[in-house]
Amino acid sequence: MIPRPETAHWLAAAVALLLGLILLSEIVVGTRVFRRRAWRAYLFPSLALGSGAFLLLITIFSTFSTMHLVAHALWAEAAMIAGGVQLAVVRGKLSSAHWSLVTAGALLVCGAAFLVHEPNPWLFSRSAFLHHVIGWMLVAAAAFPLGQALRPRWVLWPAGFALTWIVLALLLFADRDTAPIFGRFGGAG
Amino acid sequence: MTRRLVVVGVLLGVALVAPGRAAAHVSLLSATPEVQSSLDAAPTQILLRFTEPVAISPSAIRVLAADGTVLSGVARAALGDLVVIAPVSGLVQGSAYTVRWRVSGQDGHSPSGVFNFGVGVPAPPPTEAVGAKPTTWKDDLARWLLFASLALVIGPLVIRLIVLRGAVPQPLERRFHLVPTFAAFAILNVGIAAFVLRASNALQLPLPDLLYGDLQPFAEKTRFGIAFLALTLGFGVVATLLVFAWVADLHRLRLPALALSVVLASGISLSSHQATLPNSSKASELADWLHLVSAAVWVGGLVALAFLVWPSAPALRARAFLGFARLAVGLVGVMVLAGAYLALVRLPALSDLWESEYGRLLLVKLAIVALALTWGALHHFVVRPRLEAGEQPRVRPSLVGETFVAIAVLLLAAVLTNASPPETTTTTTTSAQPSR
Repeated sequence: MIPRPETAHWLAAAVALLLGLILLSEIVVGTRVFRRRAWRAYLFPSLALGSGAFLLLITIFSTFSTMHLVAHALWAEAAMIAGGVQLAVVRGKLSSAHWSLVTAGALLVCGAAFLVHEPNPWLFSRSAFLHHVIGWMLVAAAAFPLGQALRPRWVLWPAGFALTWIVLALLLFADRDTAPIFGRFGGAG
Repeated sequence: MTRRLVVVGVLLGVALVAPGRAAAHVSLLSATPEVQSSLDAAPTQILLRFTEPVAISPSAIRVLAADGTVLSGVARAALGDLVVIAPVSGLVQGSAYTVRWRVSGQDGHSPSGVFNFGVGVPAPPPTEAVGAKPTTWKDDLARWLLFASLALVIGPLVIRLIVLRGAVPQPLERRFHLVPTFAAFAILNVGIAAFVLRASNALQLPLPDLLYGDLQPFAEKTRFGIAFLALTLGFGVVATLLVFAWVADLHRLRLPALALSVVLASGISLSSHQATLPNSSKASELADWLHLVSAAVWVGGLVALAFLVWPSAPALRARAFLGFARLAVGLVGVMVLAGAYLALVRLPALSDLWESEYGRLLLVKLAIVALALTWGALHHFVVRPRLEAGEQPRVRPSLVGETFVAIAVLLLAAVLTNASPPETTTTTTTSAQPSR
């Protein structure tokens, strides 16, 4: 019952890319223009919530090790909770800017799960390299929603948050477990 | 400078995405004999095929007889280290055997696993592998939390959708949304913990090794594993429905969430120890499900009354209490009848009640249930008439007390669910698949 890891990683990467592009679109055209159609405001949080629920499907395929089961469950729930809270913020159910701290917490948890579930050093393999990069990137990216909670009007925060998703997509597209770090340029594989 | 950085960035991106050898973490791809299979003749070797080349020790595969005797020889790797083979001898017809394996992958992970096979008999479930330990207090605690979380999903939804239909104050509405939503997330996490605990009893690995333990035989070949998969997906959907119901004010979504939760509760009862016993039948499974659902509505309903309605909607207290009192009569009826039927199935002799550990546990549970029912009767016959007469009696401390007694009943139910009824009604060796 194990799906090919490329399939799962590339699906996740496609979703991450879509999330990043949605956020980036809003930054490029401005929130006022982007939200002329009301439904656009719900795109990112709904997709995050839905992709979290979908990740639970991947979770139940990840019973080949306890670590992977728990890590996938954490990623799924973090996406669901952060997506749900953001959806409530967009809808007006929650009003404080401080609710973006939930997103910061979700990024921290996801990053920590990436780092903990990878026991090998950075240069052991491509997957080890990518897991370390993704883990630390997500931990660092928690600063963006944190900043948004403290200084909501500064464009650096949403821009950094959007780029995080796009870089995450690139890294996930590249995620292979025992391949050399830089693919066919690495000399093996 | 900026252009150079862009070029370097693009090249790095292309290099990362360029296809290299793609593979999974090391995991068991297949086994001969197959995991949890039944063979007509005894095999002469065990062959395990992995997704990645592996490094092994001479005892990478151990085949154990029921008395713990090791029947396997020195393991060797073959086919580019993708396959591990160990010779076995001394296997006899009519017996079941346990295979325990442990290898190391190139990625540094050391996965381990366990499964059974039978020669001329069905394979016992992996939870009954040689060397497996029975359930402990941790399993009881996990099941109790599972019951309590289920009650917190179902109870408040029933109160809101059946007892308190129509508009309610905003703070109460928010609580009615958030409590079941958090409880659905709790079920996801407690379910994972319960599943891993149950598997760890059979895997018998220290924590660092358990992290890379193979849980697939438990997920795919046991009732509790299949129930775990269904519960994880199902309550993920329930949580999503509840979040959307709250955020988008789509209150109608709570109805499918409640219906799905009630159906999924059958997974919890079907994954219990008793559901795998030979005297289990469709009738006993139905009774177990009704017993669980009615108890969940009762306990969750009490929590909703005491901790949601009472503090945040004084105007609705009487309506909620009287509505729940009417509902509770039916709930208690179903709970008692289903419970009595299950007790008769599991304890055919009256003396089993005091002569077996299961019976004694049941007596303790019955005593606490009697206390809870007496408390409920007091509310029904003393408080209800006063509320109907328009009085405002001080009920909350009493409601909180009854709630805690009801939660204690759930704890005893969890312990009983993991316990074994007397030997006369059980078989300890082989049973049909899927099992526990």
